[in-house]
Amino acid sequence: MSNNLLDVQNLTMKFGGLIAIDDLSFSAKKDHITSIIGPNGAGKTTVFNCLTGFYKATAGSMYLNKDNNKMDLKKFSDFRVAQKAGVARTFQNIRLFPQMSVLENMMVAQHNKLMVASGFSILGLVNSKSYLQKEKEAVEISKYWLDIIGLTNRADDNAGDLPYGDQRKLEIVRAMCIEPHLLCLDEPAAGLNAKESAELNKLLKFIKNDKKTGILLIEHDMSVVMGISDHVVVLNYGKKIFEGTAKETKNSPEVIEAYLGTED
Amino acid sequence: MGKDLIQKSLKDSLFTGIIALALFGPIVGLRTVAKNEVLVVEPKWFVVLLIVIFCAVGRFFINLYTFRKEQRRGEQSSFGKAVSNFLDEKGAQIAIAAIAFSIIFPFMPFADRYWMDIAIMMMTYIMLGWGLNIVIGLAGLLDLGYVAFYAVGAYSYALFAIHFGWSFWICLPIAGLFAGMFGILLGFPVLRLRGDYLAIVTLAFGEMIRILLLNWYELTKGPDGLTGIPRPSFFGLPFKRYPDEGVETFHTFFGLEYDPMQRIIFLYYLILILALITNAFTIKIRRLPVGRAWEALREDEIACKSLGVNPRNTKLTAFAVGAMFGGFAGSFFATRQAFISPESFTFIESAIIVAIVVLGGMGSQTGVVLSTIFLIGLIEVFRDFESYRMVAFGGAMVLIMVFRPRGILAKRKPTIMMGKHG
Ligand SMILES: Nc1ncnc2c1ncn2[C@@H]1O[C@H](COP(=O)(O)OP(=O)(O)OP(=O)(O)O)[C@@H](O)[C@H]1O
Ligand SMILES: [Mg+2]
Repeated sequence: MSNNLLDVQNLTMKFGGLIAIDDLSFSAKKDHITSIIGPNGAGKTTVFNCLTGFYKATAGSMYLNKDNNKMDLKKFSDFRVAQKAGVARTFQNIRLFPQMSVLENMMVAQHNKLMVASGFSILGLVNSKSYLQKEKEAVEISKYWLDIIGLTNRADDNAGDLPYGDQRKLEIVRAMCIEPHLLCLDEPAAGLNAKESAELNKLLKFIKNDKKTGILLIEHDMSVVMGISDHVVVLNYGKKIFEGTAKETKNSPEVIEAYLGTED
Repeated sequence: MGKDLIQKSLKDSLFTGIIALALFGPIVGLRTVAKNEVLVVEPKWFVVLLIVIFCAVGRFFINLYTFRKEQRRGEQSSFGKAVSNFLDEKGAQIAIAAIAFSIIFPFMPFADRYWMDIAIMMMTYIMLGWGLNIVIGLAGLLDLGYVAFYAVGAYSYALFAIHFGWSFWICLPIAGLFAGMFGILLGFPVLRLRGDYLAIVTLAFGEMIRILLLNWYELTKGPDGLTGIPRPSFFGLPFKRYPDEGVETFHTFFGLEYDPMQRIIFLYYLILILALITNAFTIKIRRLPVGRAWEALREDEIACKSLGVNPRNTKLTAFAVGAMFGGFAGSFFATRQAFISPESFTFIESAIIVAIVVLGGMGSQTGVVLSTIFLIGLIEVFRDFESYRMVAFGGAMVLIMVFRPRGILAKRKPTIMMGKHG
C-alpha cells in the first residue's frame, strides 16, 4: 500500500438519484501509467473531478503519497488540489487560454511560484532583480517543455490559433509546469491522427520515466491504452468491473462484454 | 501605383468633405438661439470645419489603407485592422506624440477655458476608463457599478479635506485606499457570479452607494451635497486672487499676473499625471503574474483552478486595484468641483465608462483613449442639442459594434515574448 502514489478507497459520487461513481477503489503507482477506461457515461471524468477538487465526493477517501507524506485530497477544495497537493489535470474538451500566447499559457501555470517571487506584485512593480531572475527561469522552463513538443517557434502565437493536436500537447505540458506529482489526463488522444497519437505516447512515457510523475489516463482508444498502460482500471456504470495489466484487460471476458461489446 | 492611389484617394476625400459640409453645415453650423425673445442664427463654423476635416481625412486614410492592403495581399481588409496595425507598428512613437501633445495642449492658442474644461473632463474619463479596464478588460468582470468607487473616492476625499484640512496629496491616497476597500467589499459577494449576474449585482451596488450618500445626511449632507471642498494648491501655494493676509499665492510667488486659468492649467496637469500613473501601472501589472492571472481568469476560470490559480484572490485584487484608481479619479473630481452631491454619481456615469472600455476594445489602453475622445467628443459636440445627445451616443455605439464587434482596437499583445528571452 505505502508505495502507491494514489489510493482511492470506496469513492462514491451521487448526483441526486444518479450514482455516477459507486464504491470505487483503486490505486496508482508513481512509475506507472494507470488507465481508466469504460464506455460513455461510465463515470471516468467524474473520478477526475472528485480527485482534483471540482466535485466534492459523496463518500470515500482519496490519499496522495507525496514524498512519504500522506495527503488527504478531500481536505483540499478546487484550486488547492493543484496548488498544495500537486495534482494536475487536463480536460476532455481542451481548456487553454485561447486569446493568450502559448508562452503566456505556460507562465500562468507557474503562477503561484511567480506570485511569491514577485513579492505579491510589490517586487515586480519595482523591477526587482530577484523577480526578473525568477521570471527568466520560468521562461526557461516553458521553453524546455515547448522544445519537447516542438512548439517553441510558435511560443508568441495565440494558443487558440494552434492546430488541434498541438493544443492537446500544449495542455499537457502546461499542466506539467505546476510540477505535479500526479498528472490526470482526460482523453488526451481524442481527435489525434496516428502520427500525433504516437508522439503523444512518447511524451507520456517521457513524463513517466524521466519526470517521475505518475499518470492517470482516461482513454477511449484501446490501441493507445494497450500501448502505454502499466495498469488498467475498467469502469462501467460507475462500478469497477476489472483491474489488471493491459494484456489481462484485453483478454478479460467481462471487459469485452461490457466495454468492447457496447462499442459500435 | 502609389501616385495613382494617392490621387484617387485625394479626389475621393475631397468629395467626402463636400458631402460632409452639405450635411453638417446646416445641421451643426447654423444654430438658432433665443435672444431677447427673438430667434437669431448663431453660426458655429469652427465645429463644422472640424467635422468636415475629420470626414475628409478619415476617408483619405480608409482609401489609402484598404486599397493598399488589397493590392498587397489581394484580399479585403477593414479600416479598423489597418488602424490597429498602424498603432501596433508605431505604438511607442504615437504614445510619445500623444503625451507630448497633452503636455503642450494648455499653451495651444485655441486652448481657452472651454477647451481646457473639455480636456480635463476627457482626461478624467480616460483615467476612469483605464481603471475600469483592469476589471472589465483584463479580468473580464463586467462591473456596471464602477461609479460607486468614483463616488467613494470623491466623498472620502471631500470629508477628510473638509474636516481635517489635510492637503490633496494626503487625502488622495486615503481616498484611493477607501475606494479599494469598497472594491474588496463588493468583490466578496460577487465572487461566484459571472456575466449577466455579476453585471446586475454590481449595478445594484452602484445604486446602493448613491442611495446611501443621499440618505446618510449627518455625514454626506444628502442631496444638498458637500460644499467648500478645499481647492488644490500648488505645493502649498493657493490659486487665489485675494489671499488672506500674509499668505503667498501661486501668482505672487512666481511674480505673475493673477489669472484664473492658472488653476485650470494646474488641474489639467494634475489629472494628466494621475491618468498617466494609472496607465503606467496597468501596463506594468499586466506583465506581472497577477496581471496574467487576471487575463487567464477572463479566458477560462476552470483551467485557472486546475493550475492552482486562486480565483478568489485574483478577482479581489482586480476589483480592489480598479476601484482604487476610480477613487483617485473621484478625489480629483471633488477637488476640481469644490462641490459634490450624489447627483454626479448616477448610473449613466457607469454606463459611459463601461461604453468607453468596451468600445475601445477590451483590455486595450489605446482603445480607451480613442473611444473617450470619440464618445465624450460626441457628447460635447451635441451639447447644444440636448435631446439628440443620447441618440448620437447610442448611434455611435451601434456603429462601432457593427463594424468593430470586438471594439476599436481588439488586437492584444502578449505580455511576455519568447523572442526577447530565448
Ligand atoms: N455535474 C453533474 N451533474 C449531474 N450528473 C452528472 C454530472 N457530471 C456527470 N454526471 C453524470 O455522471 C455520469 C458519468 O459521467 P462522466 O462524465 O463521468 O462519464 P465519462 O465516463 O467521462 O463519459 P465520457 O466517456 O462520455 O466522457 C453520466 O451519467 C453523467 O450524466
Ligand atoms: Mg468523460
